[in-house]
Amino acid sequence: MTLATDSSAAEIAPPRGAAIYFDGTCSARNDVEVEAGTAGLHIFGADRRLLDEWLYAELRRQASPDGVLRLGRSGETLLARLEVRDPAFAAAIEDRAVTLDRGGAAERRLRRKVVILSLAAVVSLMVTAIIGVPVIATRLTPLVPISVEQKLGSAVEKQIRSTLDSKNLGAAFSCGSGASGAAGQAALDKLVGKLKAAAALPYPLRVEVVRRTEFNAFALPGGHIYAFQGLIDRAESPDEVAGVLAHEMGHVAHRDGTRTVLQAAGLSFLFGMMLGDFVGGGAVVIAAKTVLRSSYSRRVEAAADAYSVAVMRRAGGDPRALATILARVTANKDEGIKIFEDHPDTKDRVAAINAMAPAGATVPLLGAADWAALKQICAPSPTAATAPPGTATTAVSGTTSGKASASEPEPAGGTNAGGGQK
Amino acid sequence: MATAAVFPSPIAAAGTVRFLGDEAAYWRLRIKGAALVVVTLGIYRFWLATDVRRFLWSNTEISGDTLEYNGLATELLVGFLFAIAILVPLYMALALVALELDMVALKPVLTGFALVALLGEYALYRARRYRLTRTVFRGLRFDQHGSPWRYAIYAIVCWAIVIVTLGLAYPWTQAFLERFKMRNTSYGDLQGRFEGSGLSLFLRGLPLWLLIVGPIVVALGVLSAKIDWDTLSRLIDEGDDAETGRMIGQMLAPGIGVAVAALAASFFALLLLYPLFQAVKLRWWISGLRFGDIAVTSRLRVGQVYRVYLRLILYLFLLGLLAGMMGGMTVFAVVGIVRLAHNATLTQVAAGVISVLLYVVMMLGSSTIYQVIVAAGLWRLGAETAALSGEAALDGVRATGSASSALGEGLADALGVGGI
Repeated sequence: MTLATDSSAAEIAPPRGAAIYFDGTCSARNDVEVEAGTAGLHIFGADRRLLDEWLYAELRRQASPDGVLRLGRSGETLLARLEVRDPAFAAAIEDRAVTLDRGGAAERRLRRKVVILSLAAVVSLMVTAIIGVPVIATRLTPLVPISVEQKLGSAVEKQIRSTLDSKNLGAAFSCGSGASGAAGQAALDKLVGKLKAAAALPYPLRVEVVRRTEFNAFALPGGHIYAFQGLIDRAESPDEVAGVLAHEMGHVAHRDGTRTVLQAAGLSFLFGMMLGDFVGGGAVVIAAKTVLRSSYSRRVEAAADAYSVAVMRRAGGDPRALATILARVTANKDEGIKIFEDHPDTKDRVAAINAMAPAGATVPLLGAADWAALKQICAPSPTAATAPPGTATTAVSGTTSGKASASEPEPAGGTNAGGGQK
Repeated sequence: MATAAVFPSPIAAAGTVRFLGDEAAYWRLRIKGAALVVVTLGIYRFWLATDVRRFLWSNTEISGDTLEYNGLATELLVGFLFAIAILVPLYMALALVALELDMVALKPVLTGFALVALLGEYALYRARRYRLTRTVFRGLRFDQHGSPWRYAIYAIVCWAIVIVTLGLAYPWTQAFLERFKMRNTSYGDLQGRFEGSGLSLFLRGLPLWLLIVGPIVVALGVLSAKIDWDTLSRLIDEGDDAETGRMIGQMLAPGIGVAVAALAASFFALLLLYPLFQAVKLRWWISGLRFGDIAVTSRLRVGQVYRVYLRLILYLFLLGLLAGMMGGMTVFAVVGIVRLAHNATLTQVAAGVISVLLYVVMMLGSSTIYQVIVAAGLWRLGAETAALSGEAALDGVRATGSASSALGEGLADALGVGGI
């Protein structure tokens, strides 16, 4: 094979080389000789017959093992292939065919574009997640009808209740029944009534105390508020309980539960759907959701605090009571993981509440008798205390048939009544 | 003018299958690809998948000629977007349905799961068609016909049967599904077939089944013998769930030791025998492939597969060691800095970033190691131990068929199913 590079030669012989040719209609392997002419490749068969001519402009490189140049033609439905294994001849062809993308430079440029655009997409995704999703969720929340919210709330409630009710008390998980419980529930209703009058919400609010010893309360979409026994136990005045309940009413008024669901759905869509399946993706999704949700929550909690202050003032109670109980309850706890906590630094909250609320003497929202009754809202029914352990569960479940148990005859009625009249 | 009088013909003898690729090159491909996938939050995976297939196909030599993958990454991207267009409304509909009905109930969850599984099998069949039609050999492409929905239903029913029979029906369901797939596969005008028999796989796999599933069956038998069914049905009728639970606990308590021992035995048997299962299955599958008069045989040895998995364990162990050391050093460094800064927020962000990074490294590292050592390793082993008979027919195949869309690929990607 000659490769004439001297242009002064009278005749420049076009390079020739051996190749393997598949014509695309039949799988037979053809050993051919290829001549790299001026306009294209001439393919000669075993008997020196011209089999085909491939123009340089049509040549495309196909995927091949190292050391093999595999050529195809563009614009052809047939998958004819020409395979050149001689590196020198392959180089000669690449010199003449510009479309072949020697060394893969064009392909690399394309990929770099892909990577850069993807990084841009990632940035835009982050911006959308941090700014766009909360804005859209806030805009969409008022459009959700109250009936849908209530359906959402009751759907979630079953799940939450069964999770919280670790001892499987069922209906007994709620306080407010039995002789002392009913009195406590009445006091609670009075307190909540004052708050409702001050708030004037279009929601049918319902407040329920449940047997959990933690200091906590939460509101479900649709207006159902759960308060824990721990809250009642740790409060030293009815205004403190009222402050916390007013904070939860703030969540209901601002429809925070629904907005959180919309935000979570938005984040799930962005990070879950758009990214598809790749290794390590799960971590990104969880991390992004956790961080973003926490930062949204801080603002939401601050807004609920402000709502609590406003409602307490209108109701005539002590607007600083919420700050008082927060400060007392978290006095001994460590700072902990701030950025991942849904409630911002308590000190900041206490300071903010006190700044909003004027100091001044106020009258407690409940009288002494009602406050005492409220404190006993979760007191167990006396029959349960005296009965043997085996039947305790049946006794409690037997008496929680609504709140009409005050008229039930009880063997230990004397002590119960005495306990209730402090 | 001397012309090349020698027509170099391929070195390999007719009928042999070889894998030409170099593992180091594949490591580089996968590691670089994994890094880019993370940086682009997954968008680069279409290019990585295309590169991987080009490498594996181009280095698989059959009777002297190599396969060619001519699919494009952009096709995969388009398929993915298309699949999203289908899946988004589907997921929305499922969410709405869940909201309307009782979310915690079992029936909607099971139906939803079955739907997704069905869609997954549909996607797998279509993805297989995409890959086959993008595979070129000697200028002709492969093709696949047949209804993907039909396959999906067959596959779901087969899985249900396998679960109910605790795995005993697996050989026959696999043979059935492979026959369906190969019956609908063609190379040019050469029709595919599958001639592996369920019985031969069953016989070869029976000792495995006895060692792995056997103890579980024994444990179930022992436990159910302990239960007094009369008392139990009486308690269930009474409706006292707590009491029923307690009674079940009491009845099962003496058998718990046996059950735990059986489960442990089964688990260890699974770990030890999994490579054997893979070897048996792979050899059976390759030996059953037919295209017209061409038959494929496999002389894959179990020891070769065990060597692959032992390498995997070694590399994973090294990765764990490395990650542990790097993680430990980073934690030391960060804690030192933070102690100086006295900033609580900084600790969290630092802690968060370190854990996410470590997790990503571990996940990507183990996935890459698995892909290079096991997935590509088994591909190479399968190719190197395969041989063709009747390969003279390879010279007379004629062209038919056309390319298919990448929707199946996109669906499979979005649903998280699919192999190479």
